Amino acid sequence: MAEVKYAEVTYEDIEEICEEFSNREGAVVQILQKVQEKYGYVPADALEFVGEVLEIPKSKMYGVLTFYSQFYQEPRGKFVLKVCVGTACHVRGAGLLVDKIKEELHIEPGENTEDMLFTLEPVACLGSCALAPMAMVQGTAYGKLSADKMVSLIRQFEEEAEKEQEPV
Amino acid sequence: MAKVTVNGIEVEVDPSYTILKAAEKAGVSIPTFCYHPRMDPAGSCRICAVELEDSKRVVMSCVTPVADGMKVLTESPKIHDARKTNLELLLLHHPLDCPVCDCGGECPLQNMSFAYGATESRFESHRNDEQEDLKSDVLIFNANRCILCGKCVRICDEIQDVHAIGFINRGFDTIIGPPLGKKLDCEFCGDCLEVCPTGAITDHFVRYKFRPWQLEQHQTTCTNCSSGCQMHVETENESIVRVTSKEGLGPNEGSICVVGRFGFNHVQTPQRFDTPYMRIEHRLVPSSWEELLPELANRLNAIRRKGTDRVAGLISSRVSLEDAYVFQSFFRRVLRSNMIDTGARYGFMNAAIPLVEATGTLRPLVDHEDLLKAKVILLIGTDPVAESNITGLFLKRAARKNRAKLYVVDSEAITLSNRASDHIRINPGGESLFVSVLTEEIVSGGNLSDEWLTRKEELFKNWNVDPGVYQRLVNDLKTAETGILVTGRKMFRNENASLSMVNLMKMTGALGWIEKEGCGILPIPETANDLGVLMMGATYEWLPGLLDARNETSRKKWENAWGTSLSYGSGGGLNQILQGIEEGKINALITMGENPIGHFPAGSKVREILGKLDLIVSLDMFQNELVDMAHFVLPASSSFERTGHFVSVEGFVQKSVQTMAHWGESLPDWEILEKTSLAMGNPMGYESSEGIMKEILRFLPDLSPSTRNGEHFVGGTGDIHLVKPVDSTGFSNPSHVNEPGNISRLSFEMPPHKANRNSVSARFSEWNGKTQPVLDAVSVIPGEGEFVFSMTKSLFHSGKMTLQDPNLKKIQPEGKLRINRQTARKRKIKKGEKITLSSIHGRCSFVVEPSPMVSEFELVFPEHFADSQVLALFPSEIAFSPETGTPTTHRIRVSLSTETVS
Repeated sequence: MAEVKYAEVTYEDIEEICEEFSNREGAVVQILQKVQEKYGYVPADALEFVGEVLEIPKSKMYGVLTFYSQFYQEPRGKFVLKVCVGTACHVRGAGLLVDKIKEELHIEPGENTEDMLFTLEPVACLGSCALAPMAMVQGTAYGKLSADKMVSLIRQFEEEAEKEQEPV
Repeated sequence: MAKVTVNGIEVEVDPSYTILKAAEKAGVSIPTFCYHPRMDPAGSCRICAVELEDSKRVVMSCVTPVADGMKVLTESPKIHDARKTNLELLLLHHPLDCPVCDCGGECPLQNMSFAYGATESRFESHRNDEQEDLKSDVLIFNANRCILCGKCVRICDEIQDVHAIGFINRGFDTIIGPPLGKKLDCEFCGDCLEVCPTGAITDHFVRYKFRPWQLEQHQTTCTNCSSGCQMHVETENESIVRVTSKEGLGPNEGSICVVGRFGFNHVQTPQRFDTPYMRIEHRLVPSSWEELLPELANRLNAIRRKGTDRVAGLISSRVSLEDAYVFQSFFRRVLRSNMIDTGARYGFMNAAIPLVEATGTLRPLVDHEDLLKAKVILLIGTDPVAESNITGLFLKRAARKNRAKLYVVDSEAITLSNRASDHIRINPGGESLFVSVLTEEIVSGGNLSDEWLTRKEELFKNWNVDPGVYQRLVNDLKTAETGILVTGRKMFRNENASLSMVNLMKMTGALGWIEKEGCGILPIPETANDLGVLMMGATYEWLPGLLDARNETSRKKWENAWGTSLSYGSGGGLNQILQGIEEGKINALITMGENPIGHFPAGSKVREILGKLDLIVSLDMFQNELVDMAHFVLPASSSFERTGHFVSVEGFVQKSVQTMAHWGESLPDWEILEKTSLAMGNPMGYESSEGIMKEILRFLPDLSPSTRNGEHFVGGTGDIHLVKPVDSTGFSNPSHVNEPGNISRLSFEMPPHKANRNSVSARFSEWNGKTQPVLDAVSVIPGEGEFVFSMTKSLFHSGKMTLQDPNLKKIQPEGKLRINRQTARKRKIKKGEKITLSSIHGRCSFVVEPSPMVSEFELVFPEHFADSQVLALFPSEIAFSPETGTPTTHRIRVSLSTETVS
């Protein structure tokens, strides 16, 4: 079982990201987004460093971080299964998808699998109602899903991850 | 001006006023939760709603500006309903756990619900069920009780500038707390606790220990530092339960620091002496005053008979005016000795002597309100937040809100550095050179000789002074409309401190800041009453009123005043006292809250020298190295147990009152001395502290109690009368005292707290002829792999005494060596690890704490924790300053290793 891997953050890396936004206090949300893009979540150290660079107190930074649900404070799985539970998807059985994932991976919404491969994240509308029920993983939309299709999708990702680990 | 009618009462107010302020002027009170007079309004709690009579609109009075002709109703039926609904909504979430809430009984939410009869809610209640945040050792956050007024967050941001807590999450889930789920890490001023209108913030120290209505409140002056804060000591059965502050009260305007608010428990710990002790056959045995005093008197009389200056005295500079006055009186009148010195000798004397010489007074030229008006402020060698917290608060406000240009000259970053327009991080040891060059630059008007140019070059080359920043500073100083120079402990304790002080005075003079109103120099005294104790003449140099103790005329003045002849010798300070004891010329030592051994390295001869004494009498509260040698240990009352006056950094003379019962058999210092004099057959005749203050005021009327707003915060000053000074030194001729025409009631005359600018200017121009000292850098530049070890004052302790405080010990239990964060990383030293420092004199182990504030050359340790082990790093041969007789143990070159010594 793989342990939760916390990212190692250096002050210099964060300085670089802030520099992209000319160290503007007003760009704090974009900077945090960029940080999350880099590490998969917003590590506590990164939050502190951003605060130091932008001269924003830690308490205020934490306020911003916790205000937006888009930011994560903990590492997340390699594949974040964003299952749409918006109205259209709900009507077409999004609940079944979520249940299946829970059953298959033994995780609750918001949780990671022990091997840090998957995270289940039910989301509100992704704007592709024609494809309902749908999910998004690593930026790719998968439409017209069913519970079975979801399982094969999970298997596909597992294989993909295994391949990556094999020595070339 | 705008005319506003509030509930039919017409008032004329400035158009910038809010309705709330206008109502206050009309004498109408409007309930508030989130409003705070010192902060920007937030308008978040909606309880201060008022109705505009014409438009029938409901507006929030704390954020709505007045308009001419506005008619406001604060208690109309509509408003009553609005407020009641508001309360009902608040009570949706707020649990009704008042029976177990510390705030119950003094809770605005409780009072308001009661007043508006919000007995039951029309809404379905939805109690929050958040766990209490108990992680901090000091404060407890209970999110369920929180009504999210945000006052705590705002006071931490706007007043304290600490930003320790913030809003977390969003909407219904919003809570208040420190970031990242961590333990609260802040200055622990407790201002958030004070302003919280509910029991959402409480503290560990008094939780469940009181009901507010059972406490007795005493308004008193804090005696932990020179800020002179007014606070409320709340007691039950004559012991202290908690300390609170009241908005707007005193020079502190309602803010107090961690030491004042939480550091009250050391005076009620079992470690305190509760009975007098006498040494019999090498052992200290408990005794009684009746048994002990005659014995002590006999021995003192025997020594006194040998001649003058046979008994030496050391007095802490934390005692009241009354104690200091009686102390010097006891020595000069009864013991015929002028061998007396104060705790100020270890530092503040380096400022006091030049100040008195140059200005003739110890009163400051400027106060905290002047800081708010100043355009340029130069902080040199001081960390005001730690040294005099309220001075720090005013500086924060000056820089943040009033946009004063703040320059900081210090090797380490201080709390105020991030508010500074520039921070000159001078390398340790370069301060005297910096001051010298800057003074010459200002005095010469920029025409530096070649020799000075070389010096200036050195400053840029070796001492980390940026030429650009330096020039900016010079320009700003020269062109400043109003400017103030603030200096403090780090400066006073540096090598060459008194000469640097002379330089700073000359610079202040050359800038024209001595004559100009609102400008000047503000030295921050190190302790609560450095100023007062010196004004009382508790040092060999000065008689009360800062008159030269060795001058025949001033001696005559006091002989007249006291109606006795004074036959003390030429006397001496700490240096001469130690010398005298060693040579056998001094046979007895009486200390009042002073322990000289604790100030010197283990290897120094101080202990050995003191061993030569025939008699050591220690007036103290706790055991220490000197007590272990003393023949008599006399239990002294703490400042909470007696009444006395203290002179604050701003020059206010304020009263500290008795708030708790005397601890055991302990007595106030003056009373112990009075009783001793009586037993010696030579009574001084002091009966009460009021009587002593009356005598002081009879001769030194300008020491009459004073406060910022001209009102006497600390109760009535009794029957103290003011006598108009009859000569220019402020000294009144005692023969005039009983003439009715010379007596005026205190209330008619508000004594000034600041120095008189005219007399200071006159004296200064005379003094200014004195040559300007030329100083070079002190060579403590660290070599490769070396550091400078230095000691600073900690925010969490006042002196050695507060180390005994259970509350403060919880906040800062041990002294940690602060090391630069990068350096620590480079050397692979982690937080909490032990390292060893060695100097050429000795070595000592420390627990380290990496900090971004410390410079890469320095290692900084809180002085309170510096015991003889730590001081072993310093030379055992004590160096006394030739000018002021101050011993210098401030910093030393050390090398660091990760091995530990036992």
